[in-house]
Amino acid sequence: MSRLFRSLWRRSTTLRYSNRPIASALQPCLLRRNYTNETEVIAPTEQIPAVRASAEVVKQQLVEFGDYIAQCLPKFIQQVQVTFTNELELLITPDSVIPVCTFLRDNHLCQFTNLVDLTAVDVPTRPCRFEVVYNFLSIPYNQRIRVKTYTNEVTAIDSICQVHPGANWYEREVWDMYGVFFRHHPDLRRILTDYGFDGHPFRKDFPLSGYYEVRYDDELQRIVRDPVELAQEFRKFDLKTPWEVFPNYRKTPEIEAPATESSTEEKK
Amino acid sequence: MSTAGRISQVMKGVPMKPVMSANPVEARRRVLTLYKQWYRATPKIIEKFQLPYTVEKVHNRIREEFMKNSHVRDVRAIDLLVIKGQMDLQETIKMWKQPCHIKSYFHQETAVEVPTDFLGKFFTQKH
Amino acid sequence: MLRIATQKCCDQLPSRFLPFLSTKSGAAVATRRHQSTDDKVEVFVNDKPVYVKPGSTVLQACEIAGIQIPRFCYHDRLSVAGNCRMCLVEIEKSPKPQASCAMPVMKGMRIKPDSDVSKKAREGVMEFLLANHPLDCPICDQGGECDLQDQSMMFGSDRSRFLEHKRAVEDKNIGPLIKTIMTRCIQCTRCVRFADEVAGVSDLGTTGRGNDMQIGTYVEKMFKSEMSGNVIDICPVGALTSKPYAFTARPWETRKTETVDVMDAVGSNIVVSTRAGDVLRIIPRLHEDINEEWISDKTRFAYDGLKRQRLTQPMLRNKQGQLVTCLWEDALPFVAEKLSTTEGSKVAGIVGGFADAESLICLKDLLNHVDSEGLCTEELFITDGAGTDLRSNYLLNTTIAGVEEADLVLLIGTNPRFEAPLFNARLRKSWIHNELEVALVGSKVDLTYSYEHLGDSTTTLKQIADGTHPFSKRLKDAKNPMVVVGSEVFSREDAFGVHAAVSAIAQNATVTSQTNRGDGGADWKVLNILHKVASQVAALDLGYKPGVDHIRKNPPSLLFILGADGGAVTREDLPKDCCVVYIGSHGDVSAPFADVILPGAAYTEKPGTYVNTEGRAQQTQAAVSPPGSAREDWKIIRALSEISGMTLPYDDLEGVRSRMSEVSPNLTRYDAVESANYFKQAAELAKLAKPQLVSKPLQSSQLSLADFYMTDSISRASKTMAKCVKAANEGLTPDL
Repeated sequence: MSRLFRSLWRRSTTLRYSNRPIASALQPCLLRRNYTNETEVIAPTEQIPAVRASAEVVKQQLVEFGDYIAQCLPKFIQQVQVTFTNELELLITPDSVIPVCTFLRDNHLCQFTNLVDLTAVDVPTRPCRFEVVYNFLSIPYNQRIRVKTYTNEVTAIDSICQVHPGANWYEREVWDMYGVFFRHHPDLRRILTDYGFDGHPFRKDFPLSGYYEVRYDDELQRIVRDPVELAQEFRKFDLKTPWEVFPNYRKTPEIEAPATESSTEEKK
Repeated sequence: MSTAGRISQVMKGVPMKPVMSANPVEARRRVLTLYKQWYRATPKIIEKFQLPYTVEKVHNRIREEFMKNSHVRDVRAIDLLVIKGQMDLQETIKMWKQPCHIKSYFHQETAVEVPTDFLGKFFTQKH
Repeated sequence: MLRIATQKCCDQLPSRFLPFLSTKSGAAVATRRHQSTDDKVEVFVNDKPVYVKPGSTVLQACEIAGIQIPRFCYHDRLSVAGNCRMCLVEIEKSPKPQASCAMPVMKGMRIKPDSDVSKKAREGVMEFLLANHPLDCPICDQGGECDLQDQSMMFGSDRSRFLEHKRAVEDKNIGPLIKTIMTRCIQCTRCVRFADEVAGVSDLGTTGRGNDMQIGTYVEKMFKSEMSGNVIDICPVGALTSKPYAFTARPWETRKTETVDVMDAVGSNIVVSTRAGDVLRIIPRLHEDINEEWISDKTRFAYDGLKRQRLTQPMLRNKQGQLVTCLWEDALPFVAEKLSTTEGSKVAGIVGGFADAESLICLKDLLNHVDSEGLCTEELFITDGAGTDLRSNYLLNTTIAGVEEADLVLLIGTNPRFEAPLFNARLRKSWIHNELEVALVGSKVDLTYSYEHLGDSTTTLKQIADGTHPFSKRLKDAKNPMVVVGSEVFSREDAFGVHAAVSAIAQNATVTSQTNRGDGGADWKVLNILHKVASQVAALDLGYKPGVDHIRKNPPSLLFILGADGGAVTREDLPKDCCVVYIGSHGDVSAPFADVILPGAAYTEKPGTYVNTEGRAQQTQAAVSPPGSAREDWKIIRALSEISGMTLPYDDLEGVRSRMSEVSPNLTRYDAVESANYFKQAAELAKLAKPQLVSKPLQSSQLSLADFYMTDSISRASKTMAKCVKAANEGLTPDL
């Protein structure tokens, strides 16, 4: 299977190079600005070390596009950012999921009609520990966008099933794995875990081994469900070297709260 | 849901939309509704899972589970517990759950007694 | 080999002629002697004023300012070499960046360790170092704790302009402990300097120059030092790594337990690395007053003895005379029945060198409960005179760190190099930096430093005590003299005579040294006993009788042996019907003739208290759990007491320890040296008892390196130690 994928991938990359002149010729002039300039692509050779070519033009376009969206939805969008790999991200308030998604779907310059993925990130140190992430694709513009919002264990987020029906199972998955509740979801129940499973496994405070184990008991002649007992030592990596060489130069990883949340806290 | 109280403290400044219920009275009504649903479903559950328990015992166990969360005061936390309870009920009534799930509510099936005196600990444990 | 030659003559010179030879260690000694604050020099680090002592280096000034300079060749406890160039920093008004480890500070100097010039210099040096360093981090044992790896991440460039072939160097075979991959070597010469300065064995050196420079022994031979393992720690790259630990684990996946070593009486602080209940390696932990940052090879490499020859199940001797495994539930009632039916005077106990204070107090309380007085330690000591009543009689009173203040040391009947390698390292350090003079009465051995050999007869001792020996005058003139007696002299029949003579010498020296110093204070202690085993001081503190004479005179019918594997008592010494109960971790000398075996825990498996030879109580921690159904020793005795119906009044570690501090409070004052006094009274008591001396020469049993490795039940079970003995005796074999 993986071999098949690999060969497909190889073909697709070769196709990209060979078809590029034709494809760009077919593009309407409106769309062309989303492409990098062809002359920037350097054919890799063996002598020159592989260095990521910085696509400043792409970045500039993304920044402008992001600014445009932010101006359209000033009340909902808290921050627009472009990551170092040139991905556009919108950080929005939790209440504005539906208007933002609707805008991104229906605006003629966006047309993000395709919900690629919907997931969440758990950062327990934040006041709102869950970050809910939506990834959209605009097929007409070959453009991707990521929308992020935040919530906690007891705050519900509006389901976007009415905007993107494809979000149904994704939201069930997020509910199952993280325990984020989606308001007005047509059929919110567990999707991946077993019936009777306790807890939400993707939460950071969920133990690696789970709470219960289900096994067949020879004496009782049936399946039993027991509290889990760790048979194997929990593998904890100690990344400090035994020799304290340069404590001053060693950075302790600090989890910083994102600017959006602190700014909203200040606002309110 | 033990963290619910803490979270509501942190989120104090942020106005929040209710999950379902607008006020504690409404939340209480939902809890009672759920409780009644469980109560009514009990004979059926016993029959379906062929549980070796009386209706009264199961009722008591259900009551115990509800009382476990009696300290929760946050309306939204109550709502979420009600939602989970409803999902649980659905899974139980439709027999999506296995008998072992239901039985594990009633007793630890394979628990071993852990000695507490010095000699008992000496003979059984290393530490 | 020229380097070695110069280094050797450097060793003979006192430190004041060589300002660079002793930076930190010399400075540390200086601060001990006099501490004045007014004669400091002001320098500026990143425009921040810092006051440092004149003569210290730019690197040290930066360290005081809180800025650490990357370095490879510089090491706190070694002389300055200045050859790696990693510590280059920009100094204002100097045309080029300077090597900060070798550059003394000058008044008003402006140091810029974070400037662009400094950063670029570091990056350049790092590029040169990496030009010849293989990129084999994935298969390198140093990976994860490698200075080069860390510093190239912190200070190096992210790419190389080097396209040529790398240099390759042939690996050397320097013994069964140290694995060498010389291609990885960056020629920092730390190992060479360690061997020359600390270990005192000039086995390592450099040959060739420039790109062809190599570290090695010139001809293939073993690196013959009792502290050779430390070069593994100080090597900043993976050139010198541990042979037994090779390809075992990465440092981040191991758990580290900070504990204490019990292979000798010094009590070195160690870190035990474990993974999934397996001791993988032992590395030193810094303790300035005991082991600094070194440990001996026995401490470091004997850990594989913890997995071999272990007693894992209780055993009982059956009717056919064979030991068969059984359950605790069978073994303990058997012993309990014996204990309750045997008359108290017929019950005895012998404790060995690895017994922790917790099990000692439990055994003592249990045996005292049945009115037995037969509690003996396997190690010998004197019982006449003040005996073990006065603590000063059996401690290393000057303390190990106190050696650095001494100016004259008289060693009697000991070979500290193998009995307590780290004590010997202190003596050598003091000999290099403080012009310490050493004299020895006993076997003529190689102590790694020069000393005056006064012969090995007891007459010499007597003459020194009388003041008729020429050495007496030197002792009289000394300001801070030390007299160190090895514990082996107490196995002589005239042990008391030797001890009395020694305490007389020490008492005389105490009086004269007080007048020499002119302070009149009594804080300088002269008399020192250097013990060989870790448990002895705690056992004597708790009131155990030294030596097994009591048992020979009163043959017991129930004998407890608590890890005593020194062979002090054999089956022939005991009556035929005597029931021998062995409590311990290894099936070594005593376990085979025992009737009941109760498997105990080794020092890495239990939290235990040990008192080192200077009287410092320290704790071991449980790094792994005991194998099989072995239990902590004190718990075995506690369980036995409960089954035999005389339950000891404690059942947890806190309870045992509070009982310990009732008997001897110093046992729970961890990491504090409880100093002892009453030297004068002890010497007088000794005189009253009429000591006798016989003419047998004073000798030491550990004479050569091969005698050092296997001395106790753990090291005798260790494969690595056996390889070391073989290599030391017969030379290297290629497969080692």
